[in-house]
Amino acid sequence: MRCKRLYPEEETAGLAVCSRDTIAYRLFHRNEIAFDSFVETQTRHQRVRRHHIWKHSTEQKCQPMSHYYSNEGIGNPAYYESDTLEVDRGFSRGFPHSNPYDAGQGSWHVMGAGVGMGSGGGRGPAEMLPAYSAATVPTPSVGVSRGGWRESWRDSASVLISPVHPSNPPTETPRWQPQQSYTVSMRLLGSRRMSLFPGGAAALDRLGLTEEDIQDEMENEEQDLVKNLVAMSTKDSDTAIRGLPMSFSEKKYIRSQVLAHRSTKQKHQFTCCADCSGQISMFVRRLRAGSGSVRQALALWQGFMKEVSGKFGSGVLSYFLFLKWLLMFNVFSFLVNFGFITIPQLVSGDAFTNTAKFNGLELLTGMGFFNNTIMFYGGYSADVVGQPPNAIYNMQLAYLLTIAVYMVLCGGSLIYSMATSFKSNFVLEGASGGAWTLLCSWDFRVVNERAVRQRKANLAVQLKESLSEKAQQDQLSSSEKLKRVGVHLAIWLLATGLAIGACAAIYFLSAYEQKQIVKGSDAATLLVPFVVSLVNLVVPLIYSLFNKIEHFSNPRMQVYAVIIRNVFLKMSILGILCYYWMNNVAHKPDTCWESSVGQSLYRLVVVDFFFLLLGSFFGEFLSNVIGTTCVPSLGVPEFDIARNVLDLIYSQTLAWISLYFSPLLTVIQIFKFFILFYVKKVSLMHNCQPPRKSGRAAQMQTIFIALLFLPSYVGALSVVAYTVWSLKPSASCGPFRGLRNPFAVVEKWMAVEQDWVVWIYEQVIRSELFFFLISLIVLVLTYFFWQLKEGRRLLIIQLRQRIANEGKDKAFLLEKLQKLQKSNRSSAGKPKTRMNNQRNVSNRQWYAEPGHEEALPDSRPPISESGFGGMRAAIPGSRPPMSESGFGVSESGFGGMRAAVPDMGLNGLRAAVPQSGPPAQLRADPASSTPSGLIQAMLARQQAEQDDDDYDY
Amino acid sequence: MGGSASQLPKEQLAEYQELTFLSKQEILLAHKRFNELTKDERNPPTRVPMDKILALPELKSNPFRKRICHVFSTSEVKDGSLTFEDFLDLLSAFSDSATLEIKSHYAFRIFDFDDDGTLDGGDLEKLVNCLTGDTDDTRLTQEEMRQLITNILEESDIDKDGTVNLSEFQHVISRSPDFVSSFKIVL
Repeated sequence: MRCKRLYPEEETAGLAVCSRDTIAYRLFHRNEIAFDSFVETQTRHQRVRRHHIWKHSTEQKCQPMSHYYSNEGIGNPAYYESDTLEVDRGFSRGFPHSNPYDAGQGSWHVMGAGVGMGSGGGRGPAEMLPAYSAATVPTPSVGVSRGGWRESWRDSASVLISPVHPSNPPTETPRWQPQQSYTVSMRLLGSRRMSLFPGGAAALDRLGLTEEDIQDEMENEEQDLVKNLVAMSTKDSDTAIRGLPMSFSEKKYIRSQVLAHRSTKQKHQFTCCADCSGQISMFVRRLRAGSGSVRQALALWQGFMKEVSGKFGSGVLSYFLFLKWLLMFNVFSFLVNFGFITIPQLVSGDAFTNTAKFNGLELLTGMGFFNNTIMFYGGYSADVVGQPPNAIYNMQLAYLLTIAVYMVLCGGSLIYSMATSFKSNFVLEGASGGAWTLLCSWDFRVVNERAVRQRKANLAVQLKESLSEKAQQDQLSSSEKLKRVGVHLAIWLLATGLAIGACAAIYFLSAYEQKQIVKGSDAATLLVPFVVSLVNLVVPLIYSLFNKIEHFSNPRMQVYAVIIRNVFLKMSILGILCYYWMNNVAHKPDTCWESSVGQSLYRLVVVDFFFLLLGSFFGEFLSNVIGTTCVPSLGVPEFDIARNVLDLIYSQTLAWISLYFSPLLTVIQIFKFFILFYVKKVSLMHNCQPPRKSGRAAQMQTIFIALLFLPSYVGALSVVAYTVWSLKPSASCGPFRGLRNPFAVVEKWMAVEQDWVVWIYEQVIRSELFFFLISLIVLVLTYFFWQLKEGRRLLIIQLRQRIANEGKDKAFLLEKLQKLQKSNRSSAGKPKTRMNNQRNVSNRQWYAEPGHEEALPDSRPPISESGFGGMRAAIPGSRPPMSESGFGVSESGFGGMRAAVPDMGLNGLRAAVPQSGPPAQLRADPASSTPSGLIQAMLARQQAEQDDDDYDY
Repeated sequence: MGGSASQLPKEQLAEYQELTFLSKQEILLAHKRFNELTKDERNPPTRVPMDKILALPELKSNPFRKRICHVFSTSEVKDGSLTFEDFLDLLSAFSDSATLEIKSHYAFRIFDFDDDGTLDGGDLEKLVNCLTGDTDDTRLTQEEMRQLITNILEESDIDKDGTVNLSEFQHVISRSPDFVSSFKIVL
C-alpha cells in the first residue's frame, strides 16, 4: 500500500518538474497499461529505490541534466529490470540491422500492427519461461524504458524550444509551438534515425532496449510530427514534408497521415471558407508549378550549362550564368524601350528622312547613315502622338518615364539579387582557409572523368598547401614584412598611376577626336574607342603581371587586389569620358549633342565587342598554343573568371549610360552578349583547363553582383540623372528640344494634371521635409538593425562558448562518474564469478527465485557499466579499460551509446547541462556543490543501493 | 517526352511533385532516364541494381557514387539498389531547390562511411582519400593526414568529443557557402 501512496506522489512531482514526465505519464495511458497493476507488481525494494531516485531528481527541479542522464541508466527503472529485458534479446538479435539509417524504415509500417506489450508472437523462448509470463513485471518495464528513451529525446526538445517551467501546471499535451517544435522534431527525427541503431540490435539490448521500444519510440515521434504538421497550414506542411530527411515512402506515409488527420478534423469543423481557401491554394500551387515548368522549358542553354559545370565546375559556370543574367537585363530593357519609345515614334508617322548613303563604316561609327535614326536620341520627336482630344501619348514624358522606370526596376532587381546572394553566401567569420571549406567544396556536378581526376589532384595540392600554410604562419621577420609593405605600396602607386595616365590620354584624345569630327573625317572617330579598349585589354594584363612580384599572405587578398585595381581602371576611364561629354560636348547647343554622345557610346560598345573577341583569342587561344607547343611550362591557360566578369560589367555600364542617349543600343548589346556567349563557350572548351583553385565561387559571385551594383549601376544612374536634371538639351533635335532641362517635362505635365497628382508631386517628390523624414526613418532603422546585429554577434560568441564549456563539462562529469563507479565497485568487492553466474546462467529467473533480492544488486552493475561504457566513449581517447572480463557487454554497448551520446551534440547537450553553473566552479568543488544532475543522480543511486542493502540484509 | 509522360500516371506525378523538390520536367526526365536503365530487360524490375545506377554518366566518375547509392537505397539487403522513388529522392536532395538542411543532412550521411551517425577519424580519413584520389602522388602521407584530421576536428568539433556530429557538421556547412552550389547533380 505504501507503494501505491508513493507512486502517484512521485508522479505528480515528476509532472510538475518537467514535460518529460508528462510524456512518460501519457505514455502509460496511451498504451493502456493499468498503472495500478504496474505499481502493485513492482517489488518493494524497487519501489523504494525508485522513490529515492525520483526524489533526488525532483529536487533538481527542472535541471535537464538529471533527466538526461537519469535516462541513461540511473533514474530509469529499466536498467534495474533489464534482466527482464534480457529475455527479448534472443529475438532482437535475429533481427537484421546493420544500417542505422534504415533501421526505422521498415518500422513505419510495422507500427501500430501491435507492438503489444508482451504479446509479440515471435518472442521465441522467452514465452516459455515461467518467470516471464508469471510476472507482469516485464510489461511496465518495457513501458518505462520506452519512457526513458522518449525522455532523452523529449528533454532535449522541450528544453530547446520552450522549457516548461516547474510552476507550470501539468498538461496532457505539452504546448508545442507548432513551427518551432516541428523543426525540432524533424531534427530529432533525422538525428535519431541516424543514431539509434549504431551497432545493430545487439548494442541496443545492452542498453536495456528492445526492438519494440525503438519502434514505439518512433511511432510516438512520428505521431508528434504528424500532429505538428496538421497544425500548420497546408502550404507550410507541404514544404515541411518535402524538407523531411526521409525516404520517399516515408514522406508519403507521413503525408497520408497528415491528410487523414486533416480530413477528420475538417469533418468536425467544415466551413465553406476553409474549403474555398484550400481550393484556391491548390490552384495557386498548380499554377506556380506550371509556370515553373514553362520557365524551365524556356531556360536558355540548359544543356550547355550542364556541360560547362560538368567539365569546369561551378566557378566557370557562374561566369556564364552572369552573362545570361545580363543578357536578360538587356532583353528586358530592349522590350521596354522598343515598346514605349520606339513604337509610338514609328506610329506617329514622321519617320526619319535619310539622305546619307550607306557605306559600311557606319556600322562601326554609328554616324552618317544612322545620324537621325531612332537609334539615337536625335531621332525622336517631341510630338504628342495622336489627336489631342481622344488619344494622347506624350512622347517627352514617355521617353523620360520609360528610362526612369527601367532604371528603378534594374536597381530593385540588383539590390534584391545582391541581398539574397549576400544572405546565402556571405560568411560572417572568415572561414579561415579551413580544411572543411575544401572538403565541402567538392563539386558534385563535375562528371567529366579527366576533370574529376584533375580536381582530385588540385584538391590534394590545396589540402597540402593549407597544411603547410598553417605551419608556416607568423614566421616573417619585420624587415621582410616591411619589404612586403613597400612592394605593395609601390605597386598600388604604379597601378593608380597607370590608370590616371590612361585617363589623361583618353581625355586629350577625345578633344582631338572632336576636332576631327568637325573636319568631317568619320574614321578618326574610331581612335578613342580603340584606345579605350586597348587600355582595357592591356593594362589588366600588366596588373596580372604584378602578381608575380607581389606576395600576399592570403590568396583571397590577391584576388581582391586585382579586382579593385581593374575596377578602378575601368571606372575611371568611363568617368573621364562622361566628364568630357558632360563638360565639353554638352555645351554645344547648336549641334545635336545627345546624339553625338550616343554615337560615341555606340562606338565604344562595338569596338569593345571586337576587343572582347580579341581578348579571348589572345588570352585563351594564343596562350593555349604557346602553352602546349612553345613553352610547355606555362601549361594550358585557365579561364580567368575575374577578368572576364569585369569585362562584362564594363560593357553593361556602357549599356546603362547609353540608355538615355541611344535607347536602342541595347539591341547591339544583346547581339554582343549572345555572340560572346558562344565565342567564350568554344574558347573555353578548346583552350582552357579547369581552374586549379576551387572554392569561393559563391562568394565571388556575390562580389560581382555587388560590383555591378556599386560602381557600375550607381555610376550610370548618376550620369543619366545628372543629364536629365541639369543639362540643357539640344535645341534642334530630340524629344526635349526647347526645354530648360529634360526634367522640366514633368513640371510641364504637372501644370495640366489633376489636383491629386500635383499634390503628391508637390508634397512628396519636391518636398525636403519628406526626404528628411524618410532619411531619418532609414537612419533609425539602420541603427536599430545594426544594434540587433551586434547583439546577435555577442549572442553567437556566448553560445559558442557555452557549447564548448558544456562539452568540457560532459567530459569531466563522465570521467568523475567513471571514477566513482570504479571505486564503488572495488569497495563493494563482489566476486566476479557470481556476477557472471548471474548474467549468463539464469538472470531471467530471479524474479521467481526466492532469493532474488539478494541477487539483485549484483545484476545491476554490469548493465549500468554498459551504459557508462558507452558514455565514456564520448570522451576522446578515454576508452574505458575493460577491467572485468564479465563485462564484455559494455564492449558492444559502446557503439550504441557512443552514437547516441555525441549525437545529442549541440541540442542534447544544451538540454543536458545548461544550468550547471560555470565549469570552473564545478571543477573546483564538484562533490560538495553538486552542480550537476549527473552527480546527484549518481549519489542517489548509491544511496538507493545502500537502502536496498538495508532492506535486504 | 510524351511517351514517358504517358507511362507515369498523373496522380503519381502530382505526388512526386509534392513530395520532392523536383519540377514536372525533371521528374519526367528522371523517369525516362530510369526506364532507360532497365529497358533491355523484359520485365523491368522495380529495383535497379547499384552497378547500373553507377553507370549513369552523372554518377560515373563521382568519388562518392557508392555511398550515394547506399544512402538513398531503401533496399532491405543493403545492396545499394534503387527504386524509382529512391532515385527521385536522390535527385531531389541534389536539386537546385533543395534546402540547405536537406543537403547537409544527406552530405553528412554520405560522408559517414561506417554509418555510425558521427564522422570520426576513420570517416574523415576515408573522406579525404575519396577527395584526393588514391594514386600515390595525390594521397596524403600518414603525418599529413593526422595533421589534417586534427585541424578538421579543431575547426568543427565544438563539444570536443573527438567526432563531428550532424549539428556540428551543419554548423560547418553553414560557413562554407560553396557547399550549396556544388552539392548538385543535374540529370
